[in-house]
Amino acid sequence: MSGRGCGGNLIIKTVSGFLIPFIQLFALYLAAHGDLGPGGGFQGGTIFAASLILYAIVFGLDEGREKVYEKAAGVMAAAGVLVFGGIGLLCMAAGGSFLQYSSLLPGKVKTAYHLGIYGVEIGVGLAVAGALLLLFMKTAGSRDD
Amino acid sequence: MFEAAALMIALAAALALRRAIAGPSIYDRILAVNVIGTKTVALLALIGFIYGRPHFLDIAITYALINFIATIAFLHFKEKGNLRI
Repeated sequence: MSGRGCGGNLIIKTVSGFLIPFIQLFALYLAAHGDLGPGGGFQGGTIFAASLILYAIVFGLDEGREKVYEKAAGVMAAAGVLVFGGIGLLCMAAGGSFLQYSSLLPGKVKTAYHLGIYGVEIGVGLAVAGALLLLFMKTAGSRDD
Repeated sequence: MFEAAALMIALAAALALRRAIAGPSIYDRILAVNVIGTKTVALLALIGFIYGRPHFLDIAITYALINFIATIAFLHFKEKGNLRI
């Protein structure tokens, strides 16, 4: 573990290991509460990416796990855009216009809006978390220079 | 009451900002920025009470978590010279 992560700093490792699950739980709470309070998919995704970046800084990533992280981040970003656009196109296929949730469940407008906004928030959160993680891996994680 | 406390915390943050500008070593500046972040958390909670909007507590928690991550990243950068992981 020489030179990787924060070396052997016990305090930083213990505090980070204790905090990272709570940060991720809070990120999920923010993403799920987007329509009731502050926050939403973008903020939740940002905080989720921040927790993963904290893990990468403190504990370090070896060569193989770095590759997996990069690939997973790219897949996450693309999947988020796909979820967002997919819900929008699903609304069009159901007879409405782009992102018109009420066409998804005819007769139950409130439920349709709730589920539609929820799905879009999840898509935005995935896309933002993946893109931020990818930016961090590409700028800070390279060992070539 | 809450307004007076908020004003005093803003004053304390201003004093910490003075230390961040004048601080002789990099560690003084990092600690001053960390203190300003902590004051901001308390200020956000107080503003939430002043305006009667409990949602501000969520923002305060977010600010505390991000502040912690920023401090760790700063110190890591100072020690290693880059953010290479």
